[in-house]
Amino acid sequence: MVALVPGVRIRVAGRWNRTGDRSDYCRVELSSKQPGQVATRSPDSEGGLALRLRDVVCRHGRLAAVGGVDLDVAAGQRVALTGTNGSGKTTLLRAVLGLHRQVDGEILVGGRGSRSAAEWAWRRRACAWIPQRPAAGRFPLLAHELLRSSGDGGQALSAAERLGVGALVDRPLSSLSGGQLQRVHLARAVGCVAAGAGVVLADEPTAALDFAGQEEAAELLTGLPVTLLVVTHDRAMAARCDRVLEMAAGRLREVG
Amino acid sequence: MSALDQIGELLRLVPVQRAGIGLVLAALGLPVVGVVIVGLDIMPVRFAMMHVALLGIAVGELLGVDPVLCALLACAAAGAGVAPLARTPEALSGAMGLLMSLAIAAALLVLALSGVNANGAFALLWGSILAVRPSDLVVLGTLAVAVPALFVWRRRDLALLLHDRELAVCSGVPAQRLTMLLLVLVAVAVAGAIRLTGALLVDALTLLPALAARRLGRSLGAITLWAMGIGVLVNATGFLIALGWDLPPGPVLVLAAGAVALVAHLLPERGASSWRVLDAASHGGAPH
Ligand SMILES: Nc1ncnc2c1ncn2[C@@H]1O[C@H](COP(=O)(O)OP(=O)(O)OP(=O)(O)O)[C@@H](O)[C@H]1O
Ligand SMILES: [Mg+2]
Repeated sequence: MVALVPGVRIRVAGRWNRTGDRSDYCRVELSSKQPGQVATRSPDSEGGLALRLRDVVCRHGRLAAVGGVDLDVAAGQRVALTGTNGSGKTTLLRAVLGLHRQVDGEILVGGRGSRSAAEWAWRRRACAWIPQRPAAGRFPLLAHELLRSSGDGGQALSAAERLGVGALVDRPLSSLSGGQLQRVHLARAVGCVAAGAGVVLADEPTAALDFAGQEEAAELLTGLPVTLLVVTHDRAMAARCDRVLEMAAGRLREVG
Repeated sequence: MSALDQIGELLRLVPVQRAGIGLVLAALGLPVVGVVIVGLDIMPVRFAMMHVALLGIAVGELLGVDPVLCALLACAAAGAGVAPLARTPEALSGAMGLLMSLAIAAALLVLALSGVNANGAFALLWGSILAVRPSDLVVLGTLAVAVPALFVWRRRDLALLLHDRELAVCSGVPAQRLTMLLLVLVAVAVAGAIRLTGALLVDALTLLPALAARRLGRSLGAITLWAMGIGVLVNATGFLIALGWDLPPGPVLVLAAGAVALVAHLLPERGASSWRVLDAASHGGAPH
């Protein structure tokens, strides 16, 4: 479906919704923006932002969960991150978003660091996140409120519809099944991209999905016009990516 | 004289009128503060603020500044001071307990140093709804406007923040500033409410409506509206009952609010089956 030479991407219309009608997702997404709006709304991310990690070390207390990771991901590249349980994948993703506190080394997204609060705000707009374990939530949140938090509620809602959870958006998240919740998070990521995110950091986004859902999600994520870093144990998802990395005991190596 | 006649008679008295207005104003602002308290899981905040306020009074007495003003300022500062601890959900609740112990110790120390009687200081803290002064009504009125206004203005940010701080942070919510604002608001409101109504009534006005609403509403907006509705209803009926049968308003209001909270908890929860019925109704049972 997607032919790839590093740096050059030719995208054929993707069939990623279950009902079977073809939809060219990316074209719809990009043409929905007003030309003048792009500059103000998006962190300048058409086609994705480059990701650069230098000697990144993340600690949990005294445990170095991530130990000296170097990584360069070109803009628009899709990278699968695999590896054993507890090897530090989630921690690494959270470090990029600034959710993990004890981080050393350098992390650049789109060439930008994260020294000031403004830079963090930009980083979080630039990176859409699909958490591995969505929070139980201390207070109820409705699914459509989660979708709207992406910055482009309209696109997120229509993505939810295509993912088969459009009818659930008025329900509190706590009443959704694991897979339904994961679909809502996928739809939210689509909204983030529509709102200008140039990187998607997806942490096992298909772990709770049924077989058809895994296909849909893999097709959806790899079809987004962004840089994709996806933690996955799913071979089909890894096969759709340009690169496959493996993490072991906090270290990263290229496997394909 | 019938209860109704007695209510009519009493309502002509100025202090009773003020108390009624005060309760209505309190019912609009304080239950929303209660929603924040439940949402941030900081139930011990009332005890913490009581003692921080006491410390403020002690400092005020020592320095010769208006002690009540000092108490409010001390509470606001304490609220802002614990805000950085809100990064993990469990930290805040523990911080409130710690704050309480430290404040008691500091207050007793300052009171001893200034030679002020501790009971006298507590009396300043302990108001009664029938002794509400016009200046107190101003405080209540400000809360009644400011708190719901914040909830309307920032409803999306607040819903995200109270659900999950990390998700809120990733969605561009200024979580740190918003948490600090909420904590300052809670601290001042609780301290102000203790002063206005006595410590017992604070629960009836803040926590109990919020706890009942937490069971009845399915979203932050719904919970907030339920809390305000329950607050107004409980305050109005409780106050009228107290007037009509010559009862002390504080305990009556607490019992009324407690009864509503109990009923809300006994109501069957809207379970998965009713969601399924809703889905089937709105989508003709389309498979998902
Ligand atoms: N909150 C925490 N406190 C202490 N240690 C933690 C915490 N979270 C993770 N760890 C530890 O850090 C290491 C890396 O965890 P991480 O969640 O990044 O692994 P992972 O590669 O995502 O694993 P999985 O495939 O199971 O999701 C593990 O050894 C884990 O036990
Ligand atoms: Mg993980």
